[in-house]
Amino acid sequence: MIRSPSKSEAKIIYDINVHGARLMGVSRRGFLAAGGALAAVFAMGGRSAVARVNASKANSHAHSAATVNGWIEIRSDNTVLLRTGKCDFGQSTIYTAYRQIVAEELCVPLEAMTEVVSGDTDRTPDGGGTFGLLRYGQNLRKVAALMREASLELAARRLAVPRASLTVHDGLISGENKKISYGDLLKGEDLQLVIPIAGDLTMPTGLRVDADPPLKPVKDYTIIGKPVLNPSIAPKVAGKTVWVGDVTLPGMLHARTIHPATLGSTLIAPGKLDHSQFPGARLVRIGNLLAVVSPDEWEAVQAAQSVADGCKWSKWEGLPSNERLEDHLRMMATEDPTPAREGRANKGEPSSVKATRELRASYFMPYQKHAPISPMVSLADYREDGSVWLHTHSQNPQHLRRMIALMLGSDEEKVVVRTYPGAGHYGRSNGGSAGSEDEAVLLSRELRRPVRVQWMRADDMQWSTQSPAMIADIRIALDDAGKIAAYEASHTGPGMQDDRLVGALLAGMPVIPAPSPDTTYGFQSTMLNVNDVWVYGTVPVVHEQAKGGAHPGQTGASGMVGLRSHSMRTPIQFQQNCPREIAINEAAMLAGKDPLQFRLDHVSDPRFVAILERLRTEAKWENRPSPSPQARSQGSDPVKGQGVSIMLRDNGYWACAAHVTVIPASGQVRVERMTIVADVGIVINPLQLRRQIQAGCLMGVSQALHEELSFDKGAVTATDWSAYPILTMAEMPELKVVITDNPSVGTYGQGSESANALASPAIAAAVMDATRKPIRRMPLKPEHVRGAMVA
Amino acid sequence: MSTIVVNGQQRKFKASPDTPLLYVLRNELGIMGVKFGCGLAQCGACSVLLGDEEVRACVTPISALDGKPVTTVDGLPQRWASQKGKLSADTLHPVQQAWIDEQVPQCGICQFGMMIKVTELLEANPKPTDQDIREALTTSGPSPHLCRCGSYAAILEGAHRAAKLMMQGDSA
Repeated sequence: MIRSPSKSEAKIIYDINVHGARLMGVSRRGFLAAGGALAAVFAMGGRSAVARVNASKANSHAHSAATVNGWIEIRSDNTVLLRTGKCDFGQSTIYTAYRQIVAEELCVPLEAMTEVVSGDTDRTPDGGGTFGLLRYGQNLRKVAALMREASLELAARRLAVPRASLTVHDGLISGENKKISYGDLLKGEDLQLVIPIAGDLTMPTGLRVDADPPLKPVKDYTIIGKPVLNPSIAPKVAGKTVWVGDVTLPGMLHARTIHPATLGSTLIAPGKLDHSQFPGARLVRIGNLLAVVSPDEWEAVQAAQSVADGCKWSKWEGLPSNERLEDHLRMMATEDPTPAREGRANKGEPSSVKATRELRASYFMPYQKHAPISPMVSLADYREDGSVWLHTHSQNPQHLRRMIALMLGSDEEKVVVRTYPGAGHYGRSNGGSAGSEDEAVLLSRELRRPVRVQWMRADDMQWSTQSPAMIADIRIALDDAGKIAAYEASHTGPGMQDDRLVGALLAGMPVIPAPSPDTTYGFQSTMLNVNDVWVYGTVPVVHEQAKGGAHPGQTGASGMVGLRSHSMRTPIQFQQNCPREIAINEAAMLAGKDPLQFRLDHVSDPRFVAILERLRTEAKWENRPSPSPQARSQGSDPVKGQGVSIMLRDNGYWACAAHVTVIPASGQVRVERMTIVADVGIVINPLQLRRQIQAGCLMGVSQALHEELSFDKGAVTATDWSAYPILTMAEMPELKVVITDNPSVGTYGQGSESANALASPAIAAAVMDATRKPIRRMPLKPEHVRGAMVA
Repeated sequence: MSTIVVNGQQRKFKASPDTPLLYVLRNELGIMGVKFGCGLAQCGACSVLLGDEEVRACVTPISALDGKPVTTVDGLPQRWASQKGKLSADTLHPVQQAWIDEQVPQCGICQFGMMIKVTELLEANPKPTDQDIREALTTSGPSPHLCRCGSYAAILEGAHRAAKLMMQGDSA
């Protein structure tokens, strides 16, 4: 295993197989006075690629210039650096859970994890969207385990003891009365652990570790499960963090984009820029992409407004308008060529099931916005050599890099994306772009100066993507005993995602394929999955299907923007789970059963049984059927109700109870109390998980009560917070979050975003409990609730 | 060239009088603890203290300061130190410390305005009730202070902890 080619050089070349990875490099102990490290690098193409790596040139076999850096580096001062292509959007996972996962597998103290480098395409090694962070955390868990195993192999040789005799605790490797720290082991070494990798760096799903090292037994965990503080908070609240909007470059121009009048308009004539009023400003046009730039930001803001007022755009009416959206989706269901997809839980033939009682109902889920508190901002620096540096805020910088290179017709190597903290946007950029990035690049290329594009509130509301609307037709057949004999659901809505760059579309530049039933690119398919996992295992007959289609306004001339979709939090699952859970509550009412007990009667998984029983206690649930004995659908006196919902996501089990007060005459709903019980398996960080659940739950209450995107036949008409209100602090209900640690399942907790999704169906059910009237249209705005009261 | 007092320092600026305070602070004076949110005084992300009163920097023209000093989140430690009669700021402001202790922020972009508003509240009302805090952050200003991540529960806990820390600071 160890070859010593030249004793006179006193160096050792290592080439050790470690569970499919290769520990390689040259030892120069005694020559290097200080320093030394072991770095995890990867070989694309899986295990066979690892074997082809040249022992003396491991580094040059990295996938690209962007990936020469190590994933994890253990350094001779006993510190550990972690690089991840994932970014932080406020949930802190890469700064808390990721450090805990790596420290746990390496068996070093958490404090050794001193540095996290994230989301820069030139210095973080992996890619993929920032979603499913703990699913992806399995990659890091494996890399860290391989690093530990490699270090133990090395230590066995150094200490001259059998590998099997060695163990590692608290950063110290020991056995047979000998011991050595990671740092001492690596002093003077320049070693790499080459790890087999599958996947595609710049595609949305990224890379996967193709090795199965032994993992530390869960029972031995000492770091996972601890309430570790998020180290990124202190510099943020002290005002020391550089946010994406804070980045500046010498010679930088401030730009404001003047977006078209509608989502399909072309520019007939730009408005006039009054140079006497705005002497520093300049108008730039690239196709239908129009912008004003100035060294002075306030001048750019005012000049852009002045030019916008004088612009002539073509008339375009390619949208159905929000009022006619349901009709549009019904039409799409029959006319769009996208085939329907069947649910994985389908069994039996529902039409043959004779029902004693039957629920047939249709449900409507509106378009909703990600609505970050700060609109998107990006700074691009296009350089003379054709390279471009893009400073932005993205959940998937590698895919953004790929799309920018495609737009420019340049090599991916020419594009560097650096990311910074910014306003959370909840999935909007997991395909790379959230808006403004491509506009900044095109303007910088045109002007040959660094250009900072700050979208204004209206740009962000009107020109970003949205969480797609959906309708559901549900039939539940009950048998003589009031149990579900058959469940049938048909979900219809536009495809989940369109990641095409909006500035590139306006400028007429190359973009990735438009959504269609045929494309297999990224998440661009118009086909919808049945994303809501079926959980009522005792129901004998189930048929679910999902019918996707083009987004409104997408068809027509090439380059048409339209009302683009994008995943948000629990994408598509929310739009399918909400109607299902409301319908289950309605079915329970029809059966005369307590809706919580009704769920217990139909779930088959003991983890659901456990959390529902726990919810009953924690929520002080009244064990009775809906409606409430005091239920009323008229009058100005408040009535109270309770509702329940459940969800299975990423192996996390969730149950929620909502308690509400309703004024039937006005349709006003006040959410009094929300109780969430979550079994997410191994809890990595109970403190951060609790904060995520609390926050997600409140965003969910906001979605439930307020959020529906309005648009007319051409444009989004909700341009600010008054037209798209979100939850205020005064509306915050009492929150109770119960996390049931369940390490025996062996998987990490995941899917705190489920807390968002649970609120809407539970609140709708609680309103039904209070009023007897089913709520089948979200959100619960007073006018919709009033409509339901008289239905 | 005109001057304003920001975070205890006299600063010169060139911007025209109609320029919103936000752009003067960020672009001319390099004070980044004030964030652009909506530009419409609808969200509170850009809040600063003008004297003892919270205002929205995105719609406040630089000409409207009326000689009053401006405090941003960057200047909270100094504000606290001078209130305590200390020469230099050697700790964070209790509101900032409470925000760390309670792990308040999710993404954190709204928290600049939240911390400013809570500072305004606690300076006037050292022992606020839940209701006082909710009202301060919802109805007391030109608009509610919005948090899209939904960190309101954490903010409530943070405000109560900050009140305790400030009282301890007073008795120290």
